[in-house]
Amino acid sequence: MTDSQTQSAPVVLCQNVQRIYQQESVPVYALRGASLAIEAGEFVSLAGPSGSGKSTLLNVIGGLDGFDAGEVTVGGTNLGALNAAELAEMRLNKVGFVFQAYNLIPVLSARENVEFILQLQGVSSQERQERANGALQSLGLGELGDRRPGELSGGQQQRVAIARAIVTEPVLLLADEPTANLDSKTTSELLEVLQQLNQQQGMTIVTATHDPIVMSYTSRQVAMMDGEIHQDSAMAT
Amino acid sequence: MLGTLTLLFNLSLRNIVRYRRRNFFLFAAIAIAVGGTTLSNSLIRGWQVDMLQTAVSGLSGHMKMQAPGFADDPSLQHAFSAGTSIALDPQLPIVGIAKRINLPAVISSERETRGVAMIGIDPADEGISLYRDFEIAGETLSGPEDGRLLIGKALAETLQTKVGRRVVIIVEGADGRSRERGYRIAGVFDAPMEWSETMLAFTGLEALQQALGTQRLVDPITELSVVLQSDEDRPQAAAQLVRQHPQLVVKDWRQMQPQIAEIVDLVDATMVIWFFLIMSALTFGLVNTLIATVMQRTQELGMLRALGMNKQLLLIQVVMECVGIMIVGVVAGLLLGVALVFALGDGIDLSAFSQSVEAFGMSTLLKPVLTVEDLLLYGGLSVLVGLFASFFPARRALKISPLMAMNR
Repeated sequence: MTDSQTQSAPVVLCQNVQRIYQQESVPVYALRGASLAIEAGEFVSLAGPSGSGKSTLLNVIGGLDGFDAGEVTVGGTNLGALNAAELAEMRLNKVGFVFQAYNLIPVLSARENVEFILQLQGVSSQERQERANGALQSLGLGELGDRRPGELSGGQQQRVAIARAIVTEPVLLLADEPTANLDSKTTSELLEVLQQLNQQQGMTIVTATHDPIVMSYTSRQVAMMDGEIHQDSAMAT
Repeated sequence: MLGTLTLLFNLSLRNIVRYRRRNFFLFAAIAIAVGGTTLSNSLIRGWQVDMLQTAVSGLSGHMKMQAPGFADDPSLQHAFSAGTSIALDPQLPIVGIAKRINLPAVISSERETRGVAMIGIDPADEGISLYRDFEIAGETLSGPEDGRLLIGKALAETLQTKVGRRVVIIVEGADGRSRERGYRIAGVFDAPMEWSETMLAFTGLEALQQALGTQRLVDPITELSVVLQSDEDRPQAAAQLVRQHPQLVVKDWRQMQPQIAEIVDLVDATMVIWFFLIMSALTFGLVNTLIATVMQRTQELGMLRALGMNKQLLLIQVVMECVGIMIVGVVAGLLLGVALVFALGDGIDLSAFSQSVEAFGMSTLLKPVLTVEDLLLYGGLSVLVGLFASFFPARRALKISPLMAMNR
């Protein structure tokens, strides 16, 4: 499938995805045939209690975890056909990640953290700096680019993580419990940032959460239970 | 790719600084190991150089020319002309040439009799031999015509004689008959090597020639010793001498002192083995600490993989950090080693063990010798050890699953 053909196709397409973990030879079904299609420009929350499979599905979509059955396509790429190196390449170029624990590189400044991912992509020095500064400024961090993560608040660190995730202009932004470590005020500010990215730049965002506040900011809520899609607001309407 | 490597290099440097307390102890361990090994190896190298110098200066020179048959029958009947010319290529510079008569003899005082080597010399030529290091009580030989005797302090004590007294020396003359002649002792020498004090007796070359008679040759000598500027020139110089004087036997110091030659050869291997032993012991600690560093950063390294850093780049980053730590430690160690060598520049006095050290062909003052080649060798080997040590943490880092790391 070529890029031109995928323009009208869903950014994410999961069909009957199964993920089975072996715990002391006992199979544990993390995903039991989950199917989900996410169109470009959607802001989707995957919600559910612990063990519902929301994080597993997010990881499978992001190419961080494999799957045992079904089919997963991200940005037109069939993840089942990729080896580890190709998955890394796909993550680098197509997916932006925002983690619960920020996961910034502590020895790099905020700007360098954002530039780092561009450098892995082989972007030239000048373009790198321009794009990193642009991403930081768009998130209100223009003045804090030289600070290291340890010198930033949790909310600021998560904004840097978002800047790092969006600076590569990915087809998909995945956020795993992005506000779990933040207070309610910072949570609201961060969700507004994500909402703006979605509404103003058309960024496709999928976030795993169990926080109703997060769900309230998303345009589509997918509820998971026991490894299956239990409820999908898109289907309900 | 260059930009990515620069990034990884910067990242590695900052990580080294980041764990500066732990890395300080690593640096210190590496520096002490490298510095200590540098010092010990410089002493071994000094021992090697000393043995080589002692071997060369102990009358043999780098090469010695003798008449055929002299080794089996050391007498003036196996002599050759002192006019024998030595002409080596200019790129094989000669420090000096000494012409001698060197014959077995018996020396007697009123009280004792001993066997010695009776050596007729031109004192002006002997700046290349152990003669130059003699501390002489009394008078030195004035020239080749001086018919007085110079004997060692130990021999003088054995013979219970002293400067100004006479001794009798019996040595075979040019006609094959024993010549007995009285010699007045001009001086008694104190030598760094005790064997030379007991075994050698010197007199003027021309005086000895006259005393022994000259059957066939006008100006007979039994040996011609050549000292070169560098031992590396020896094989080429010896080959040239063999071509120029096919009627003579040319032997180098290695042929004359094969045991010393073997020890000198062993020293190079010993130094490398010793260095590897020390560094191997260090490697265990290094590997352990580096693995702990990787384990501590599992989440961070997993995050890098999650963001799309491939395994090769992750491997390079871990190796860069390990080798970086090694390089800093090694540079500090080499500086420490150089400082220790300078501190010991005057050498270690081994005179308390003079008999033992002489058995190894050494003088009693051991001076450390440090060469640029040795420093480069230690530096290079250390980086190799660092690369080897980095393999284990790097392998551990490559096993980190981004998913598992994220879930920690």
